[in-house]
Amino acid sequence: MFVNGEPRRVHADPMTPLSGVLREELHLRGTKAACGEGFCGSCTVFVDDDAVASCLVPVGLAEGRSVRTVESLADPAGALSPLQQAMKDNDAVQCGMCFPGMLMSLTALLETNPSPERRDVHEALVGNICRCTGYERIVDAALTAARAAGAAVEEDAS
Amino acid sequence: MSDVIGADLPRRDAEDKLRGRTVFTVDAAEGGLLHAALCRSEVPAGRIVSIDLEPARRMPGVRAVVSAADAPGRYGITIADHPLFAVDQIRYLGEPVAAVAAETLDQARAAASAIVVEVEEYTPLVTMAQALADDARDLHPGWEDYDVLVEGGRRGRNIGWEATVVRGDTDAAFARDDVRIVETEFVAGRQNQAPLEPRACVAGYENGRFVIQTSTQVPWSVRNSTARLLGVREADVRVVVPPVGGGFGMKFEVSLEPFAALLARAAGRPVKLVNSRQEEMQTALCRENAEIRIRSAVTESGEIVAREAVVLMDCGAYGGEQPFLTSMTAHTLGGNYRLGAVRLVSRAVYTNTPPNGAFRACNGTYCTAALERHTDEICAAIGMDRVEFRRRNVLGDGDLGSTGQVFEGDVLAPMIDRMVALRDSAAPVERADDGRLYGTATTVGTWFIFVGPSAATVNLNPDGTATLVTAGVEIGSGSTMQAIPQLVADSLGLRPEDVTVRAADTDAAGYDGGVGGGRTTVSLGAAGVAACDEVRRKVFDLAAEMLEASPDDLVLTDGHVAVNGVPSARITLREVAERAQQVSGPISGSGSFTGIGVQPMSGCAAGHMIGALDLPVFAVHECDVAVDPDTGHVEVLAYRVVQDVGRAINPRAVRGQVQGGVVQGLGYALHEEITIDARGKVRQTGFETYRMPLSGDVVPVQLDMYEGAPSFGPLGVKGAGEVPILNVAAAVSCAVADAIGRPVSQIPLTPQRVLGLVLGRESEGVELRHIGPGWRDNVIADPDELMAAAGV
Ligand code: FES
Ligand code: FES
Repeated sequence: MFVNGEPRRVHADPMTPLSGVLREELHLRGTKAACGEGFCGSCTVFVDDDAVASCLVPVGLAEGRSVRTVESLADPAGALSPLQQAMKDNDAVQCGMCFPGMLMSLTALLETNPSPERRDVHEALVGNICRCTGYERIVDAALTAARAAGAAVEEDAS
Repeated sequence: MSDVIGADLPRRDAEDKLRGRTVFTVDAAEGGLLHAALCRSEVPAGRIVSIDLEPARRMPGVRAVVSAADAPGRYGITIADHPLFAVDQIRYLGEPVAAVAAETLDQARAAASAIVVEVEEYTPLVTMAQALADDARDLHPGWEDYDVLVEGGRRGRNIGWEATVVRGDTDAAFARDDVRIVETEFVAGRQNQAPLEPRACVAGYENGRFVIQTSTQVPWSVRNSTARLLGVREADVRVVVPPVGGGFGMKFEVSLEPFAALLARAAGRPVKLVNSRQEEMQTALCRENAEIRIRSAVTESGEIVAREAVVLMDCGAYGGEQPFLTSMTAHTLGGNYRLGAVRLVSRAVYTNTPPNGAFRACNGTYCTAALERHTDEICAAIGMDRVEFRRRNVLGDGDLGSTGQVFEGDVLAPMIDRMVALRDSAAPVERADDGRLYGTATTVGTWFIFVGPSAATVNLNPDGTATLVTAGVEIGSGSTMQAIPQLVADSLGLRPEDVTVRAADTDAAGYDGGVGGGRTTVSLGAAGVAACDEVRRKVFDLAAEMLEASPDDLVLTDGHVAVNGVPSARITLREVAERAQQVSGPISGSGSFTGIGVQPMSGCAAGHMIGALDLPVFAVHECDVAVDPDTGHVEVLAYRVVQDVGRAINPRAVRGQVQGGVVQGLGYALHEEITIDARGKVRQTGFETYRMPLSGDVVPVQLDMYEGAPSFGPLGVKGAGEVPILNVAAAVSCAVADAIGRPVSQIPLTPQRVLGLVLGRESEGVELRHIGPGWRDNVIADPDELMAAAGV
């Protein structure tokens, strides 16, 4: 499979959850596995263009496909992604365990719907639990990031 | 004062957390790690006949197997009743019986399940009613022989601890003919903290000492409890703590650390032990379920002449935090209001269920809910407006608390006025004509800062920056990574980014009571500021020579020492630090803090570890709800908070804590509940059945921070992270009762329960037959002796 753009060969049994392979074998521990049953979203990654709970995906099913994790969002040396930057600017982060998954779910939302309403953000997060923040700032940050991107697009057009 | 205080400064740990780079304990992956698994009891109660570890030892990859024989000690907070592994008896389903370390996690789990445990089962006592029945079996037959770590609580039968309050002549007040007697019962469920990072640790054994990296809020108590359980010197245990992925109180006690430590010593290699989510659900040290009866005698004009209450707290199989937490009833249920006479008893009851623990505003959430529901029933009985009644009766300057402490300052009454103003300034909540029932409620709450000992060291480095060394852990609230360095920066005239924060390590930092109880910013902050005072003194002495000025005229600002009023006369802190290298050696300071020790009135409080509040904190919450009478679904439409913060060091961080705390409270009030079947098994095995609030369930909390209430915290601060959950269940219960026009006496208010209430179903009432009718019927202590001690 291609992980964050690089071809990677893994040795795990094909039934091993993708989250386990990412964490244990590829040392991509940004992806969390807080429940292991598909209910918390902390393990969300992209498989091709879909944000999925990687704890429910047997690694065998990811064969030959492209997997993107939270580690791929920022430029390794420098800038955070606009969504990450908005989270930082909004002081959204508390313990941080949910953020890798939150960011992937919201990145997926912004890729498919560049100008979401509040309701759309809530919907995008139905599978992501945050125990610390009470969500408001995460939602605000997603909307801020979307607005900023929208403004940038307009500027380019003009 | 610098511009560091009161500023919305960014968190230094945010960026790594957003990049997925932060390494939590659960992510630890050093080379050569063994993996561990626990063999846990599959029955809730019984006598252990035999344990055969041999099959596990023969399994592939196994490097060590340990059991009760390896851990001689017992621990607890007041009573040392808790062994590491079950000894002789099984007391709850999931209780550890043995532990295994192997090359892989699968091998460890397979070996753990190969262990054969033969148990002669007892009928489990899973409810407090069962445990308190006259003919109930003793869960702890040898309780009289346990080490008593704190004196004072009465114990006996299945009551692990009893705390009582007596002030004034309650009997006489209840007998007056000008009072009305109002009685309220309330039952609250068990709530799992469910931090996303489960309990996890990695232990090694180096040079004869245990080195434990763990996800905890209390490094020092893990150090001391581990030593006690393993029968080694406390000095032979070192605890280090990387960022913690949420705690909320569950990580306020030792948990997995001693197992991993034993295995590491036995195997001669580091061992990692992590609870699976299922194990976390079955064995979390939850917020205890509780059962409460309150009675008050009130005059027609709304004076509370007497109050009596019984609070039963389910401690589960072992005491843990509960005996300590029985203290809190005096200040939560016995708080808020001026009382003529008062008599309280709170009892920690042993049951064959997993031990409970601490959870944000422990005891306060349900005691406040019961008290505020009771208050609304009083208002209904005497026909007084609910806000007006509160305004007249809340504790103010010079009033006596339940244990006789004298409160300072009028805080709650002006906070109620601020709430009215907050409501008036907000957009009115729309009440659509949609068949739903609308309600609103205003509730007050009393909480405190769990002060206690803290130590800090501040090193002034040769480059003019500072390093702060404490045992403070960053659990996500930002106190350790954000608020405390802000205080240090303010004190030394540095930028927060010039203050390095050393991760918690019991080998480096002095004792600390732990991160919780809203104490971090107050206790660690005060210790940090005290350490800075010593640094400042040394800096000023040296700089005075360098600047040829008097030390008294110097100030620290912008990384410089300057002569006050002479802008040109200044040198950099770096120059002073460099100079110190030659003349005195490096500059450092140490500071410490503990409470001020406010005392209760003599003879009023028995069995209390906290007889009076050093640093009270108040909150006023208000919420609007809509109840669907066809489904029982409760929607929270708006939520408002006025919180006593003392002084907001970082207002934006406080807002974040309030939003998060209120949302956890909404889960508690509406749907989060751990239930246990007749066989002692927790029914909720994961997040599918244990439903926590999601982003679509929540409302933005409107907050007004009340500053200026008395506080001896640094710069007048009070902790802000714990209290936001305090009166959420109260506000929601009262608002639902207001909406449906019937009493609410149980949380969580699940749709099914609310529907039952709307339909007036009998079964929705609570039945507390195991609570005797009066206070006297519910004390082990001799009631007359208690009355006499209090001078009644
Ligand atoms: S770990 Fe995959 S959804 Fe929770
Ligand atoms: S920040 Fe802790 S779970 Fe979201």
